[in-house]
Amino acid sequence: MAVVSGERSFAGTPDSNRAGGVATAGNQLMTKVLLIEDDSETAEEITAELSDRGFEVAWSANGIEGLDKARSLQPDAMIVDRLLPGMDGLTVIEALRKDQVRTPVLVLSALGAVDDRVRGLRMGGDDYLTKPFALVELVARIEALLRRPVESRETTLRVGPLELDLIERSARRGDRGIDLLPREFRLLEYMMHHSDQLLTRAMLLEEVWNYKFVPATNLVDVHMGRLRHKVDGPGEIPMIHNVRGAGFILRTGP
Amino acid sequence: MSAVPASFFAPGHKVRIAGRMAPPHLLSSKPAQRDSMRQVRIIRSNTFRWALAVAGVFAAFIIVLFGFIYWQTDQYLIARSDLMIATQLDVIAALPGEQRLDAINEHLKQDSRGVHYAGLFGADGHKIAGNLEQVPPQLKVDDSVQSVPVIATLPLRRDRHVIRAIGRRMPNGDVLVIGREVDETREISHVVGQALALGLLPALCLCLLAGAWLSMRSQKRVEEVNQRVQRIIAGDLRERLPHRDVDEPFSRLAAIVNGMLDEMETMIRALAGVGNDIAHDLRTPLTRARLSLERGRTNAATLDQLQTVVDKAIANIDQSLTIITALLRLAEIENSRRSAAFGSVPLQELLREVYDIYEPIAENKNINLRVEVGPRLDVRGDRDLLFEAVANLVDNAIKFAPDGGEVVVKLLRADGETILRVTDTGCGISEQEREAVLRRFYRSDKIRSTPGVGLGLNLVAAIVKLHGFRLTIHSGPGGRLEIICPDKQG
Repeated sequence: MAVVSGERSFAGTPDSNRAGGVATAGNQLMTKVLLIEDDSETAEEITAELSDRGFEVAWSANGIEGLDKARSLQPDAMIVDRLLPGMDGLTVIEALRKDQVRTPVLVLSALGAVDDRVRGLRMGGDDYLTKPFALVELVARIEALLRRPVESRETTLRVGPLELDLIERSARRGDRGIDLLPREFRLLEYMMHHSDQLLTRAMLLEEVWNYKFVPATNLVDVHMGRLRHKVDGPGEIPMIHNVRGAGFILRTGP
Repeated sequence: MSAVPASFFAPGHKVRIAGRMAPPHLLSSKPAQRDSMRQVRIIRSNTFRWALAVAGVFAAFIIVLFGFIYWQTDQYLIARSDLMIATQLDVIAALPGEQRLDAINEHLKQDSRGVHYAGLFGADGHKIAGNLEQVPPQLKVDDSVQSVPVIATLPLRRDRHVIRAIGRRMPNGDVLVIGREVDETREISHVVGQALALGLLPALCLCLLAGAWLSMRSQKRVEEVNQRVQRIIAGDLRERLPHRDVDEPFSRLAAIVNGMLDEMETMIRALAGVGNDIAHDLRTPLTRARLSLERGRTNAATLDQLQTVVDKAIANIDQSLTIITALLRLAEIENSRRSAAFGSVPLQELLREVYDIYEPIAENKNINLRVEVGPRLDVRGDRDLLFEAVANLVDNAIKFAPDGGEVVVKLLRADGETILRVTDTGCGISEQEREAVLRRFYRSDKIRSTPGVGLGLNLVAAIVKLHGFRLTIHSGPGGRLEIICPDKQG
């Protein structure tokens, strides 16, 4: 019901006005994100948030049009709702993958079951976010998708003074060696791969702990507290930052 | 004979016509109509049909029996009379010429019932003596005893008969014929038959009556059950089916159904309770969110104040969402049929991982977390779900253990079972609370202040059940929960 009225009142608005306006401003370096989502209100909020963060957003309210736009606009990333009028979100992704389009896709869904999630990822989605979600979570995930680490043969990760030897499984900050437990090593490795990016607790749980459920206790905070204690020694400029209500960032600057 | 069963089946036709008028479940409340419907239903009922079938089989059996007895009696009597005739012939034939006539006359005279026939005929066929007018044309002379039609001269009548007779040519060319009426033996057989038929009729009636009675009885019970069930459907969950304490199929069935109803009543009541709990637990944070937003809208003077209000509201909404997520997760596990994806799960490895994750948390709370694993023990199951279950138990134990306390996770082996035991030095779960903790949203009054959704143990219970394991909760002092994994999963 909301779908029909939404399409009527918002048809073409996001891309023709907002994204179009940005495009005419001539900034060709802007990152293009295609949003395929049938609920206009949700779409509007997402579009507004991503635009504020400097993305160029195109919006489609149904699967068929979305697939067309995905082919013609060649976006850098896509956000696809699973349940769409016209064509199911997963079918859209499947069709794109068949065309050898490798654009990273974040799947949105109100279906939160583990099996649905697994299916969404298997069908070609790169990440899966269950509705309702925090906007900050959505943006963090899109940025993570856009800056996925390139497969490199480097065996040493470096972020500022921080150095991680993937072969020897050792870490050091400047001259100071850091003694890490296996889990802490994995956590730091993931954070260094995604330095300067906001990493939410849910992302960390999924990627580092391989959790498929949300634990009752603030696991991430406790483990992060320990890691931070080891990484940021007394008198050193802190590298692990807590972003209140959102997650953590590893960066060299203050 | 054959007309009898047909007349018994006749009511069946009436039934079929009447039955078409209204299907049984559309019974109207008019008493008269109801009565006639009941009669129809008795006749239509399976029990009655069975009785009819039994009566039919019984009748058929008796008829076959009668036939057999009739045939056997007939055979026996005829064989006897044949023997007599043959002996008589031998005796008379052995006499010298003149004495034969006397013997024939004597033989016929002695026969008060008029069943004997005899005749002596000359070589040319003329009658010399006896009560037969001529040599029966179909009689084969010098053969065994046979059935032949004859014309006899009897004291009262002269008619054609079929008799058993034997003929022999004498050395002088005469033909001696001795015969005997067999209608008499047939009459004896008829008497036997009639007796059987007379017995058959009451037996059939008895069958039908018994059928009708049994059918009526079961109809009555079905009707009784129907009324109770209607009341249950109408919402009276406490209603039960009637049953007597006798070992009878109907009572046993009623007892089984009652058992099921007990289970369902408990479940429905639990569900209703859950509904209330959900409503309550969702409303609480939503109310808080609403209130803070409403007040913030009116009172917030600065952006800072507004943001504080909004943050509070978001936190409360997140709490509601957490509850919904937990409930959905619970439903997902309870409804899952994922045993196909089960594999071998090495428990000690799983416990080591749990330790790895929870050790810092325990340390933060100044709790000593220990994991004691013996030799490698594997169970069949879904690794992720089992991990979730154990993580939940450990999470709970750490939450409820006091400062400076201890949480121990132990892997034990009892006969045929692998036991995963989690103990803590917290307040434990009292006898009265043991059932309650498995209720959704239950939070002990003692720990009301501890944050949590109150679904943790439900999740564990659901996962354990899915695997065919058992969850046992021991009463205090100190918490002690065990997941018992039998080697043979049910």
